[in-house]
Amino acid sequence: MTYELRAKPAWLTTLFPWEQKFAKVNGNHMAYLDEGDPNGRPVLLLSGNPTWGFLYRDFIGPLTRAGYRAIAPDWIGCGYSDHPRIDARLTLAHHISDLVSFLDQLELRRFVIVGHDWGGPQGVGGALQRIERLAALVLMNTWLFTGTVGKFHLSTRPWRTWNAPLAGPFFMRRHKVLSHAGPSLTTRRGMTELEARGYHHVFDEPDSDHVCLTWPRTIPLQEGDRGWQDMQHIESRLSELAETPVLLLWAPEDNVFPIEYANRLKELLPHAEGPVLFGRAAHFLQDDRGPDLAGALIEFLDRRLERRP
Amino acid sequence: MKFIQEPREELVHLRADPLLVEQELDTRPDVAEALEKAVGFRAGRVYWRSEHDHLYALELGDLGRGRPTTATVYGFWDRYEPRPPEHEIDADLLEFLLWFAGISGRIDPADVRLTAEFAFKQTGRCQTAWPPDAVVRTPEERFVGVPDFPYQPAYVQIEGLRMAYYASGSGDPILCLHGEPTWGYLYRRMMPILATVGRVVVPDLIGFGRSDKPVAENAYSYRSHVRWMKKFLDALDLRDVTIIGQDWGGLIGLRMLAEVPERFKRVVMMNTGLPVGIPFSDAFLAWRRFSQDQTFMDVPALIRYSLQRKISEAEIAAYGAPFPSKEFCRGALVFPRLVPIRPDHPGTYENLLAIETLKKLDIPVLIFWADKDEITKPGVYALQSIFPRADEPILVKDAGHFIQEDKGEEVAQRIVAWIATS
Repeated sequence: MTYELRAKPAWLTTLFPWEQKFAKVNGNHMAYLDEGDPNGRPVLLLSGNPTWGFLYRDFIGPLTRAGYRAIAPDWIGCGYSDHPRIDARLTLAHHISDLVSFLDQLELRRFVIVGHDWGGPQGVGGALQRIERLAALVLMNTWLFTGTVGKFHLSTRPWRTWNAPLAGPFFMRRHKVLSHAGPSLTTRRGMTELEARGYHHVFDEPDSDHVCLTWPRTIPLQEGDRGWQDMQHIESRLSELAETPVLLLWAPEDNVFPIEYANRLKELLPHAEGPVLFGRAAHFLQDDRGPDLAGALIEFLDRRLERRP
Repeated sequence: MKFIQEPREELVHLRADPLLVEQELDTRPDVAEALEKAVGFRAGRVYWRSEHDHLYALELGDLGRGRPTTATVYGFWDRYEPRPPEHEIDADLLEFLLWFAGISGRIDPADVRLTAEFAFKQTGRCQTAWPPDAVVRTPEERFVGVPDFPYQPAYVQIEGLRMAYYASGSGDPILCLHGEPTWGYLYRRMMPILATVGRVVVPDLIGFGRSDKPVAENAYSYRSHVRWMKKFLDALDLRDVTIIGQDWGGLIGLRMLAEVPERFKRVVMMNTGLPVGIPFSDAFLAWRRFSQDQTFMDVPALIRYSLQRKISEAEIAAYGAPFPSKEFCRGALVFPRLVPIRPDHPGTYENLLAIETLKKLDIPVLIFWADKDEITKPGVYALQSIFPRADEPILVKDAGHFIQEDKGEEVAQRIVAWIATS
């Protein structure tokens, strides 16, 4: 059976010249880019809501030039991966099993996980299932725990109204308030219309943004929430990362995951380097400060790991 | 279709966040009536285990109409792990649809079957068998010149996979299960001795020896190995079995024993156990770490490293015969991480259930452990608590993890003597 990913629009090529492949994970097609020396150390670049591999476009060149193998999968529901319209295919536990399937199929060994937003818990959750193969962990404006909840996720406006019962489908799906207004809304460096389209166009199809609503509804705010059990599972296993080099890169001006989240991560992972702070950046710091973050990432990997695994 | 009516603890645990297989049904009034009659209610869930031992649920919703108006089938998989091969799920869902057609009275099961065939032939969808490139088979020439193993393989088909076994002698069956990363060859020193008191049957596990080897890692799970081996028992219709297990042969054998105890007569366990969320040993964790870092498994090197007895290079090479390249190694590579070493690890719960059953079994048990085996020694101690009526375990001196190779003759003779008295 042959399958081809959706064709990319021509205008995207200048911003995102890389070809995406796909892997079949748990019955769905997962798109990913895989650039650089195939024998180089795999660096998995994991994005969050509502983005895709495009978020890491400033990382691919520097990483591959430095000898690394850059791999950026799009989560199921995002980017050029399949967009199932079923809630119970898109929660934290599902994304973790998707990533594990992906790691298995690409036979990745001694890999590095770079996680932002949902890419943090999902990346770490997957890595914990293949803990012997994890070489290093880099976290950017994300969280791996329950208990600490910031103002943004508690705010009634916009956050909790955006994903409230009935209001959620109306605002998030029908009116795409997140899928068509993520990085483009918070950008600090300013974004061209074409760059904004790069994020938005993958959700152009009506009702294709199911994941953008499932994700907020999976954030564990209190016990019993969907995602609570999985996040606790991850938090309880963080001590297994005691020997793994960890780096925190942080945008303190992000109002979604402010610096308190980095401090909590430091408590749980006291051996972590950082947080290295990046100003002039909001939640999507890879877009605001891409080249600088890529430089910091490469400096850390070069220093802490052998370049070839 | 056998529904599980009582919500067991297992289900409560799994229900928390099911991983969904989407199979939605629209029900018309007559179908709703049939469903209601078949499952005994009009809203809620019933569960069943499929031929592949996967857990599914049928969920009916009564949206205020006094009859089921929605019906959804859910599949449950090991949390955080990739779900099993898609063709197994397709086969299970098709079985469900055939059942549904049977009770609905509106669709003919034969038509469902024909439509599934049509879907497969026309579009390659609805695949219910292993895709051709999903399974590899070690070429027979790899086994040419394997020394000191005169047994001809026999074969049975298990779920579309060819499973090899070697048999010798006559009488009640003595089933010998090897473990990681070996094959039936491991029992060659014991086979002639055991064959004097029974029919020795030595299968190669799926993924090992001459048996077929699925390429995808998700084909292998603790549950699938137990299932395959139970189907092997059925295929050969083995009864009054004396089961001998070492390493994974014990992990699989003890679960089989708990699930179909009526087929077994005696139990011999060597260097193995039934882990319930605690690693066997630091040596096991080191092995797990090492193995999970590999893509190919150099089995001869492992055997050479582990053996206490000096054997020829040709004999060592025989252990590498099944694994010409990495595609053939997936079953062996996956095994170390299938051992339930955490409380929430797939298999822990099933093993706890199995132990409850095993504790009540009145069956003769013989336990061996090797003084130089660092991997599973604590597992052997745990076996004593599972089988409180078993005799004191027998310590075999100058033997390592592969006790069948190091001290096979001695162990086999002791088993023969024990069979005579038990």
